[in-house]
Amino acid sequence: MKRSWWYRFIFLIAVTVMSIVVVIPTVMDFNEESNYPVKSKINLGLDLQGGLYMILGIDFKKVYKDEVRSYARKIEYTMKDDAGVIVTGGEIDATDPLDPKMEIMISSASDVQKTKDKIHEFFNGLLRITGEDTSKIQIALTNNVKRTIEEQSVTKSIEVIRNRIDEFGVTEPEIVSQGKDRIIVQLPGVKDIDRAKELIGRTAKLEFKLVNDQIPMAQVQSWLKKTEDAGIVFNKGDRFSDYIKKVNENLKDELPKNYILAFEKKVSKATNEVELKIPYLVDLNPRITGDDLADARVLIDQQKNEPYVSLDFKKQGADRFEKVTGENIGRRMAIILDGNVYSAPNIQTRIAGGRAQITLGSGNFNQTMKEARDLALVLRAGALPVQLDFLEQRTVGPSLGHDSIDKARFASLVGCALVFIFIFIYYRVSGAVAMVTLSLNVLFVLAALVGLEATLTLPGIAGIALTIGMAVDANIIIYERIREEIRKGVTNYKAVEKGFEQAFWTIIDANITTALAGLCLLNFGTGPIRGFAVTLLIGIVATVYTSYFAGRLFFEFYMDKVEGQDLSI
Amino acid sequence: MFEIIKANTNFNFTNKFTLTSILSVIVVVASLAGVFTKMQYGVDFRGGAEIQVKFTEHVPLNDLRKDMSKAGFKGLTAQSIGEESANEYLLKVAASEEKLNQVTQKATESLNSLYASKGIEIRKVDIVGPKAGAQLRISGFQAMLWALIAIMIYIGLRFDFKYSPGAIVALFHDVSIILGVFAFTGTEFTLQTVAALLAVIGYSVNDTVIVYDRVREHEARFIGRPLSEHINNAVNETLSRTFLTSGTTLFVSMTMLFFGGLAIRDFFLAISLGVIIGTYSSIFVAAPVTLLFDRMKAEKNETNETVNA
Repeated sequence: MKRSWWYRFIFLIAVTVMSIVVVIPTVMDFNEESNYPVKSKINLGLDLQGGLYMILGIDFKKVYKDEVRSYARKIEYTMKDDAGVIVTGGEIDATDPLDPKMEIMISSASDVQKTKDKIHEFFNGLLRITGEDTSKIQIALTNNVKRTIEEQSVTKSIEVIRNRIDEFGVTEPEIVSQGKDRIIVQLPGVKDIDRAKELIGRTAKLEFKLVNDQIPMAQVQSWLKKTEDAGIVFNKGDRFSDYIKKVNENLKDELPKNYILAFEKKVSKATNEVELKIPYLVDLNPRITGDDLADARVLIDQQKNEPYVSLDFKKQGADRFEKVTGENIGRRMAIILDGNVYSAPNIQTRIAGGRAQITLGSGNFNQTMKEARDLALVLRAGALPVQLDFLEQRTVGPSLGHDSIDKARFASLVGCALVFIFIFIYYRVSGAVAMVTLSLNVLFVLAALVGLEATLTLPGIAGIALTIGMAVDANIIIYERIREEIRKGVTNYKAVEKGFEQAFWTIIDANITTALAGLCLLNFGTGPIRGFAVTLLIGIVATVYTSYFAGRLFFEFYMDKVEGQDLSI
Repeated sequence: MFEIIKANTNFNFTNKFTLTSILSVIVVVASLAGVFTKMQYGVDFRGGAEIQVKFTEHVPLNDLRKDMSKAGFKGLTAQSIGEESANEYLLKVAASEEKLNQVTQKATESLNSLYASKGIEIRKVDIVGPKAGAQLRISGFQAMLWALIAIMIYIGLRFDFKYSPGAIVALFHDVSIILGVFAFTGTEFTLQTVAALLAVIGYSVNDTVIVYDRVREHEARFIGRPLSEHINNAVNETLSRTFLTSGTTLFVSMTMLFFGGLAIRDFFLAISLGVIIGTYSSIFVAAPVTLLFDRMKAEKNETNETVNA
């Protein structure tokens, strides 16, 4: 026997043994605690084990608008603090939604140049001045800023979502970006889909606004009464943000200028309904936003044994926070997440150094601890200035996937059995060889799925079944070539050799064209469809190896054994 | 040797080409007409929301419709999927873009509370916003286009660019007819359909390549004979392989179609159609188009030569 035969044989045996070792936990359904050395099993896709799949989109038009508005505010503060000039934000012009422009109103013409100078000094490279006259200038974002926003928005959003999912404990979530403005979230096996959706969907827009306590509560309540009379009520299932918007629109003329109503809502744990909403009259424009915040953590006051939330501000934010707190001691500062007041602590002192504490009062330690942790989470999540839209949501219940697996598995087995029976009748012993190579093919595909930590989806199972159907093709090409050679009267040895040789490039060409289609699909694919592309591609590699190389090995061995006397094909 | 197609088979395929070409053109035109007028796009491409429910107890379709309509879901359609005894239904939610999430959420809640006693199970909820739907449409189209381009280039490089048009026309032929069948049978065009079409593209080219491979071999061996003769011989010699491969693939795709469950039924409908049509097209579409291009090229060369002379 040829020496190279042994190398190839040992390689085949090694690959086979490895594959069996890797596939056993999946087939035998071992659990994590078993003593078996290999722990990894085939990941089942969402469509097979149930769960939640979502695509979230970032609306940059809105982000840019918010951003330019926030810069206008920063200019206001800068002008007031550094030059003692009062300027105010004016109209926003969003004719080009990807390049919104905002007016800064300046009361005296002589201050226009001053304002421009300050903008150049402080916001160089961040803002463009797109227009000016004697009473106002118009600003817009530079491309640089927009690019940075784009880059950061996606990565930051992913971080935030992961953070939330992790803290609420979902196993093996997959959160990845797609393109420039999309995020794919996959939560396989998640039981409470509504809660997960609520978690992710919660818009992370954090603002700190001063509360106007001069207006008596009775007045606020009478305003609310008026909206109720106008038919604006909050019903279960509505978006709370829609309700807030309607209330404020209705009260536009009543509310003092530059103030709006915001609510703190208490949601009943049992019914998930809003039980109580406490109104607050707060600033229209936030003094500080989540942008200015660097971090929020829960710490424990050792002396009082009380948890509190510690905030760290970024440099810019720290300065502003010091000013705002210094000017407003005794007032309340509402922490608002997505329009909902989360808490409204009292400002007790001027806070310098960019570090603040929010104490939650004493009481049940565990209760306070939980509150503190939730507040910190909200604050951290608030470092994200972006609103996410649900573009696509797919939820699959666990039993559907189970049914699908059972049926698809059964059909695949029947299909394979038919193929096996057919090739055995048609090609006899050679058909039996093909049966072995086809079985190895399936084994290798499964092992590769485990090894690559790929996910098996329903179309993926379809891909495996299809691989079998198409892998036979390689066998048939070879066998038909061998038959042709035999008909020409060539010896068995030679026929087998020539058959394999001549079939080689045909098989390669045929599989490469299928692989090209598979690659295009992989590139385009979302979710389960990618699973199909992956199994198809793995299947192609496995097919070429098993049908051609392993098949040739078996034939050589067989021809050696019978010394070329007999060829059952 | 057990043979279905005898080794010395020698059909004259080339003289059937005129007839089959006419047939193919008619079917493709009819299919395209169906695609543009009748095709139903699934939720993936159209955007919208679908809820799949199953009850353990019998719930007549009409009751489901009435109850949901009474609960205030106007424009919501329901259809039963699979066998009627399975009590499994697909509800399509109608709502404006902004309200889609909310209305679907409400609809699932209503279903859960209305049918709590009937053993309701929400099996699947798909919500695809119009933006996502448009995105999926574009990327699905792109994937197919890229696959075609890549295959054309590969065939051009590996064989000869004179073979590329034939393969591409054959693929176009296959894809349009499959889509035509989908359109006329009211089968929805979904993401899975795109995946199936790409698999079909790969498979059909595979078939075509095998014939081309033989043609090339003959061209190298018997220089001077007309291309039509090479094609005819190549088709005959590979006929057995073509039938066997298509047959085995059909075994698998048909069992999956009939026993594989609803979730992948449409996928394997497209695959099964693709295998049958793809086999036909490698012989009766790819080959004639290649011949046509060869002739056009020859005529062009001749006119050039006369001009030069």
